Amino acid sequence: MTDSHSLRMSVFAALFAALTAMGAFIAVPIGPVPIVLQNLFVMLAGLLLGPRWGLASVGIYLLAGFCGLPVFAGGQAGIGRLIGPTGGYLIGYLPAVYIIGRMTRGSDHRLLREAGAMVLGTLLLYACGVSWLKVVTGLSWTKALAVGMLPFLIGDALKIAAAIPIARSLRPVMQTEVPAADPMRMETAGRTGSTP
Amino acid sequence: MHMRVAGEPAGVIRMSPISYRLGTGALHALDARFKFVILIVLSLSVVKAGALHLALLACGQIALLSFLGCSFKSLTTELRYLLVLLLLVFLVRAFTMPGEAVFRLYWLSFSRQGAAAGALIAARMLLVVLLGTTLVITTRPAEIKAAVEWFLKPFPGLPAARIGTMFGLLLRLIPLLSVQFAETMDAQRARGVENRINPVYRLTWLAIPFLRRSFSAADRLSIAMEARCYTDDRTGHRLTATRRDWLVLAVGIVYGIFVLAT
Repeated sequence: MTDSHSLRMSVFAALFAALTAMGAFIAVPIGPVPIVLQNLFVMLAGLLLGPRWGLASVGIYLLAGFCGLPVFAGGQAGIGRLIGPTGGYLIGYLPAVYIIGRMTRGSDHRLLREAGAMVLGTLLLYACGVSWLKVVTGLSWTKALAVGMLPFLIGDALKIAAAIPIARSLRPVMQTEVPAADPMRMETAGRTGSTP
Repeated sequence: MHMRVAGEPAGVIRMSPISYRLGTGALHALDARFKFVILIVLSLSVVKAGALHLALLACGQIALLSFLGCSFKSLTTELRYLLVLLLLVFLVRAFTMPGEAVFRLYWLSFSRQGAAAGALIAARMLLVVLLGTTLVITTRPAEIKAAVEWFLKPFPGLPAARIGTMFGLLLRLIPLLSVQFAETMDAQRARGVENRINPVYRLTWLAIPFLRRSFSAADRLSIAMEARCYTDDRTGHRLTATRRDWLVLAVGIVYGIFVLAT
């Protein structure tokens, strides 16, 4: 692993952490529970960055929230949030991103494999989130599942369905090491010539 | 909004109030490490604080933020989702907790005890957010990076310098990304995307160009860093603690303990 590669990957990991923080602010009002885009970006980090840098990205995001910067859902933050009833979902991003990155690494990006990895990652996320919710609030298992998992499943299915084409279209932008090698990238670069 | 870049058309740049602002005040001058410690102590004590201290802290925070140039209006637009969430928390508490009923709505009763408890929880959550916002507004990303590095140094096996850099990048990227998001939205609007009824089409043509642009921005950033010979062992921002920093820290900690004890 060259140093240039690791520098590039850490910039991308920071980008994904920033996108995750932004995704926590953007809520799409579909259905009874608004869909927060946080875990879409966590899944994309797993797909596009791989297990190691995906973990780094989620780790930086959690560290920022832990330090009290307003990056969690609705602009919340702090240690209280991490050990509060919904903290399990935040910690659960770590195993989720790792397993998604691990399962899709090296495969030639087959649809079923990616979808399966994301389903497994989401299940891991809920395993952490719901069991922590149960421990903290003392709800019964059925009630904890009804409050902390069932309302979000439709949104998660939509997010998994969206993540695959998004990852497809972003992979060429990510994988070009030489700037002008890819016609797709040149088009993007031309269009955004004046952006900072 | 006073940070709008000269020459940019109005409305294109929607500066997020949650980003660093230039200033020369006492809070800007305070050592970033001390600010972190005070932030953590205060946000811990807020969890246990009663109504009196919450009101005191909240007044102080709001006065401070408006002094720092964060208008009340921009703050409420930025935190609108949080405010809706807090309202929900308040209502759920007020309607579910048993107690003396103020009024009834069908079979639900709005209890006084519930309303008090709900207001307390909502105020605590809001205060923690305001504290974090103040830190971000008054501290340069470079100082935050240096402070994070300093705190992580004692832990063996952690690449402190790299983590600090990524942390600084994260802070810098959040406002950049929100500007880019607004720009992409305006660009699609200029192309008449509002005539499309299909929401999937509209979301796709917002999300994909936005992500592509942010990816190529990150790409250029990494090339620029490499071109400037970025390495992990570079001389960063030097943090220096003065007597005033220690004084503020002591006041912060004593106040935190006082809140926790009463």
